[in-house]
Amino acid sequence: MAALLVAGFALVACGGSPSNGGSTATKYTVGVSNTLTGNGWREEMICSIKAQAKASGVVSKVIIANRTTDAAGQIADIRNLISSGANVIVINPSDRDALNSVIKQATDKGIVVVAVDQAVSEPSAYVVTNDQVAYGNLGADWLAKKLGGKGNIIEMRGINGVPADTDRHQGLTAALAKYPNIKVVKQTFTNWSLDPAAQQMKDIFSSGIKFDGIWTSGIDSTVVDQFQSSNKPFVPIVGADNNKFVQELATLKDKGLTGAAVTNPPPIGGAGLAVGLATLQKSHSYDHVIHLTPQVWDNTTADGAAKLAQTYDSTLDPYYSVAFDVKPYTTYTKQDLIACQGPG
Amino acid sequence: MATTAVAEAPRMAGMRFGRAARRYGWTVAVYALLAVLMVTTIIIKPDYGAFEWNTLTLAALPLAFAAAAQTMVVLSGGIDLSVGPLMALANVLALRAMLGHDLNYSLGVALIVLLEVTLAGALNGAIIVLTRVPDIVVTLATSFIWAGLALLVLAKPTPGIPLDVQNLAQGSALSPWVPNALLLLLVVPLVWIPLRRSRAGLAIYAVGSDRNAAFRSGVNLGLSRVLAYSVGGFFAACGGLALSMTTGVGSPLAGTYYTLSAVSAIVLGGVSLAGGRGGILGVVAAAYILSLIPAVFIYLGIDPNYGQMIQGVLIVIVVMIGGLGAVLRRV
Repeated sequence: MAALLVAGFALVACGGSPSNGGSTATKYTVGVSNTLTGNGWREEMICSIKAQAKASGVVSKVIIANRTTDAAGQIADIRNLISSGANVIVINPSDRDALNSVIKQATDKGIVVVAVDQAVSEPSAYVVTNDQVAYGNLGADWLAKKLGGKGNIIEMRGINGVPADTDRHQGLTAALAKYPNIKVVKQTFTNWSLDPAAQQMKDIFSSGIKFDGIWTSGIDSTVVDQFQSSNKPFVPIVGADNNKFVQELATLKDKGLTGAAVTNPPPIGGAGLAVGLATLQKSHSYDHVIHLTPQVWDNTTADGAAKLAQTYDSTLDPYYSVAFDVKPYTTYTKQDLIACQGPG
Repeated sequence: MATTAVAEAPRMAGMRFGRAARRYGWTVAVYALLAVLMVTTIIIKPDYGAFEWNTLTLAALPLAFAAAAQTMVVLSGGIDLSVGPLMALANVLALRAMLGHDLNYSLGVALIVLLEVTLAGALNGAIIVLTRVPDIVVTLATSFIWAGLALLVLAKPTPGIPLDVQNLAQGSALSPWVPNALLLLLVVPLVWIPLRRSRAGLAIYAVGSDRNAAFRSGVNLGLSRVLAYSVGGFFAACGGLALSMTTGVGSPLAGTYYTLSAVSAIVLGGVSLAGGRGGILGVVAAAYILSLIPAVFIYLGIDPNYGQMIQGVLIVIVVMIGGLGAVLRRV
């Protein structure tokens, strides 16, 4: 049995080890740590990191530690990436504070650590995220205005306790404080997965809760689909710039769907890598905290409708975001992103 | 007379060896497998050093405790689906009470948390014994209770475990090759070995392997099962505290991944899910093996998702070989 295992490992070793040929200028090793699998957004984020690594021309290898795990597992993954000789580590953190000591260990060794999508509190790390507080705020504000400042809304959150969810909830709460007649009548955690969100919508329909609008943390088209399959009249829905939701906002407008897509580009991963590489090469000095300001694409305004119609891409996975780059940071093309190939 | 004694001695030794092989064979095999994997890892990664060894021990620590907790319950013929939530409960209780305090105070807190969660484990056992509802149903129900309680204690992940307490697991006081986490892991044999040799420990095995026979031999079934759940609760509390020390935060969802990983570890470690067979020491090695596999995949630059598949294949192979051994013994 043991021999079998060794053989297995050896086989894998032969297949996986990169060729050592080519003694060109310094090439960097990039480590990626992600702890949510089976999620289209995160897959696209990882593809953007691979595409940016390839486009940069200075990366020889991208090592991806991608598994569903907790903060303790992510600490082990990051330590293993340090051991693997990573020069830049891009992480999507599972906790704002739990990774601080391992990040500090990495930066003390001269490794550039970039937290993307969600923030960490360790000051030696670079943080490149969508402004998640603004994400919650802008979407909730749009919804409250759409409802005329009065009504019941459902808040479909992400994963309880992860930084982005906490920030978005904070933004939403702040926005709704200005509308005393808007009430959050139900709060759910979708875990950013399709099945729980679908089940929660079924439960909400059968429970008879009266609601006038839905705010989602990005599991949006699933909610629209549930309205369609249950033959319920649409209420205003806030989602993200996901391909299928963007399509639905554009095409189901005639059937009474009003909604807004708040942008949250997964290529933030590639942008984070670009910041990390520039820092490593000392070619550009960036602030330690970089926030993107989300846009709101409203299907009831001419501008918004045009943007939605123009960005929908039938060649793209339905659960991918329509944003394929984050200018000015990323330098790859849309084809690079879809190809999802790293260097080598 | 002298001749019979001479003839008898090797036979006795042979019997004793056979029994020892049956009892400890799996444990030895699991440690051998771990050794082989370690050697393979060092071949793959020649600069494997103290840092990597510390990484492995830190990753294995909470899983080893969770698996030890599950082992106690499974040995007594039960199953505990609330191991993860019990860990979460210990984790958040520790954060709430330690926040802003020094090392000595925090150690006192740790002892109280250990006691509280041990009692929670005892309560699991007591409900099962008193209501006669199957273990899997009761612990599924209590898993929601402990998880809800953890959310009541702490609504969201919060930092604040004192640095001195974190260093109890993260540092390496004696030598770089003896990480503190490894010393913490000694709690497992320190509790297990005396228990294993005591009447109470024997009773847990007896209850797990044949409840009727145990009852007719005068074993107090209820008490033995409650004891198994209590020690399980104690180990789960250790696991929750280990998470506090390695992450420095309290999180109400801390134990989520450990209930099922612990089952993988005990199966790999040679504990029969039917009860009454196996021990904790093999399970600790299994926790190391399960933590080593994703690390090796990262060293090789391969998606650790494949590592999860390899874990599954490994468990199936090991259990099949174990089953084959049992069949051959019977023949």
